[in-house]
Amino acid sequence: MTPVLKYDRGTLAMYEVPEPVSGLFTWDARSQLYRARGQLYREVSEALRAHGAPYRDEAAAFQKLELIFARQITPYLHQREALAAWKAAGRRGVVVLPTGSGKTLVAQLAMGATPRSTLICVPTIDLLHQWYSGLLAAFPDANIGLLGGGSRDETPVLVSTYDSAAIHAEELANRYALLICDEAHHLPSDFTRVIAEMGLAPYRLGLTATPKRSDGRETDLDTLLGPVVYHKQPGDLKGLALSDYREVQILVRLSLAEQARYDGLIATRNAFLTRMNIQLGSIDGWKQFVMQSGTQEGRRAMLAHREARALAYGTEGKLRVLEEILGNHPQERSLIFTDDNATVYRVSREFLIPAITHQTPVKERHALLQAFREGRYRTLVTSRVLNEGVDVPEASVAVVLSGTATEREHIQRLGRILRKVEGKRATLYEVVTEGTSEERVSKQRRGQWTPRVQAGPIWENVNAPD
Amino acid sequence: MLPTELLMFRVKAGLVQPKRVKPTPGNLALVAALSGVFESNLGNKRFQLEDDLKALEAGRSDYRMVRGLAHLLANDCAEFGTGGMIEPSVVRARVFGLAQAHPPSRARRGAILEQAARELSGELAGERPGAAPLSGEEALELLYADLPGEQTLTAFAPLDPAGLLQRFELAQAQGMLYRAYNLVITAHRNDPARYKQLLKYTKLFGLMLTVEGDAEAGFTLTMDGPTSLFGGTTRYGLALAKFLPALLHVTRWDLSAALKPRRDLPWVDSSDEEWSFQLSSDDGYVSHYAEPKEHDSALESGFAERFEKLHSPWRLEREVDLVPVPGGVIIPDFRLVDQGGRSVLLEIVGYWRPEYLKKKFELLRKSGRSDVIVAVSERLNLEKAGVKTADFGERIMFFKGVLNPKKVLELAEGLARAS
Repeated sequence: MTPVLKYDRGTLAMYEVPEPVSGLFTWDARSQLYRARGQLYREVSEALRAHGAPYRDEAAAFQKLELIFARQITPYLHQREALAAWKAAGRRGVVVLPTGSGKTLVAQLAMGATPRSTLICVPTIDLLHQWYSGLLAAFPDANIGLLGGGSRDETPVLVSTYDSAAIHAEELANRYALLICDEAHHLPSDFTRVIAEMGLAPYRLGLTATPKRSDGRETDLDTLLGPVVYHKQPGDLKGLALSDYREVQILVRLSLAEQARYDGLIATRNAFLTRMNIQLGSIDGWKQFVMQSGTQEGRRAMLAHREARALAYGTEGKLRVLEEILGNHPQERSLIFTDDNATVYRVSREFLIPAITHQTPVKERHALLQAFREGRYRTLVTSRVLNEGVDVPEASVAVVLSGTATEREHIQRLGRILRKVEGKRATLYEVVTEGTSEERVSKQRRGQWTPRVQAGPIWENVNAPD
Repeated sequence: MLPTELLMFRVKAGLVQPKRVKPTPGNLALVAALSGVFESNLGNKRFQLEDDLKALEAGRSDYRMVRGLAHLLANDCAEFGTGGMIEPSVVRARVFGLAQAHPPSRARRGAILEQAARELSGELAGERPGAAPLSGEEALELLYADLPGEQTLTAFAPLDPAGLLQRFELAQAQGMLYRAYNLVITAHRNDPARYKQLLKYTKLFGLMLTVEGDAEAGFTLTMDGPTSLFGGTTRYGLALAKFLPALLHVTRWDLSAALKPRRDLPWVDSSDEEWSFQLSSDDGYVSHYAEPKEHDSALESGFAERFEKLHSPWRLEREVDLVPVPGGVIIPDFRLVDQGGRSVLLEIVGYWRPEYLKKKFELLRKSGRSDVIVAVSERLNLEKAGVKTADFGERIMFFKGVLNPKKVLELAEGLARAS
């Protein structure tokens, strides 16, 4: 009888192993058959074919696809080279390219050149969306689906989060011939590596800007996806267009009325603390305060404390500034970024601006961004969840509502989304609270504080450094 | 079950001990207070419920237990719904669409909401005549009514307080298995042992079972999954955790699991290479999975009843033997033991679909056991199912309607003499 290669829950299984591949299989006494990890599928198939050993493949359930590009983008040299290197390496391996250099297009080209059922893994919901909309634009006729972020599709082109793909690894493993791992340095972790270990995919592409991991496991990528086949540093790439934009920092402080309110609240709280002999500086003090907040007086002091803190955070002041900025750019496409979801929804409710957070269903998010690109929606508000090279749609105004300080790196990344519109330079506003009010009050008392009258451009940066 | 951050346990010399809780007045009062918070928030938004839960936990050093109990109540006893006559996504599309006419401004918000509410009310009236018109405030209310925190607590059916504490304890023990890469169960001699349900759950959760031992000495059961063959993996930890409540229905056992130590906790010994979790049927955990039925079918229960009336020197035991076969295990319905310790297994084959029938006989044949009596209903067409009865020689018997225990005993005597 012809030996049969079967698939069983993340493994290859054979009752009888032909000689050329006997070294790849392990006897499983529990099931009385031979098993190998799913990832050995290519090696097993190639060895069997090379020796002309007869066998029947019942393991792989890949699909052939017709992937026809619906839009023509001329790839940059580094994108063409990366694709060629990956193909020359047998369609396996990792491509290392800096953020913003168009890794997604490399993957789309790889898909076009390898038209088989494809599983794409990404680390975040934002990237999930980005890949989904990118693939819809590139291959509108393909059956593209999502796994994770509230979706559970079963399509021949499937974009999944690493977590969801790991949870469903056994079901996915034998259905996809091409495995693409974006931000591939995430793959080697304990929980997610099964995607590659169980997967039969003979073709594998890893994409990353930084293959390094703190645990040193990036070397595992060699066996999970293949070795690095192409590597370019930011300095190596010429001709990458970075937009130029103007950066404006606006400091927000409490209004006089707010300051008076704040002082009153703090006085109420402090009177209670003094009477109860509680010192807030220590952890114990805070615990005592919380425990005392069960009493009527304690509760009033706690509420005063919370309101004072909210005032000090300055959200109200930032929203005033936001309203002004949006009024100054009535016709421009504007994106608002905040630190937290609560502020996103507050802005959305108060200004009736469409919002995107990690809670937005992926398909609704796609529709919102589409409407934004087409100009049906001029403004969007979103939380700052754009850490790993997420494409945000082009805009000419960005407003960052920060807590107190923002990392430069993040601001620069946002700068990349800004484009010149009709010769007018794009603007990035950073709205920052000027220290905590408590600090300021104490400085004021010691005579160290001088009010700054003009909040305005602090510096301008024509070309954002990388 | 509980998320990892709500697990409570100690580690002593590499042995993990999950949190146990007694139904003390304090604990019962806590459960009652939590249930009270859920009940008083019926019809409220989830964030209001969560605010109240936060207030209840404030200042308590056992906040993790409070959160764990609340988690179980929210997941196992409560239902949340979106409510409202109009889908929030429809309201959003309308409101944001109307808002595009002008730059965003808080001054214009009220007018836009009113207009959206009027338009949506008009459409709603077309679909459902007599539906109350929507106000601007209601439109704002609906705008994000589908966010988890905005969902409404629509139903709450609490467990009795002691029951919830048991569920909590069990969830803590289950949580220990999330990081298990090896699990061994020692099943001691007992009757009835109730192995059948255990086997069913093993398959349900995609686990594999390896069995060694015999019915007199007890069994060693190793549980893992297909890829465990290539080295210890925590891949099956979640499945093992889900399986634990099924094991609790088995009567006498010890469990020992090897765990991958946590490295993310400041208080653990970072030099530990492995942790161990041990549990036994005497530990007092209570399963919330349905109790297995005493017999699979009336055929078996009828047989057991008639057997009792015979007052034979043979004793009838139920589901006590695990017969390992390549690629699995079978659990014969009964085991007959005489006073001299001789034993024979009995499998009753009543109603099976042909494809299962073939597999069942194949497994019985593969087991290589010569002490198994197979009693087959005459209603079954074995030949048509492709079963070769010749493989079983004299050990196969056919019955019409009810299975006569006397005939079984005759055959058992014969088999026992021959062995």
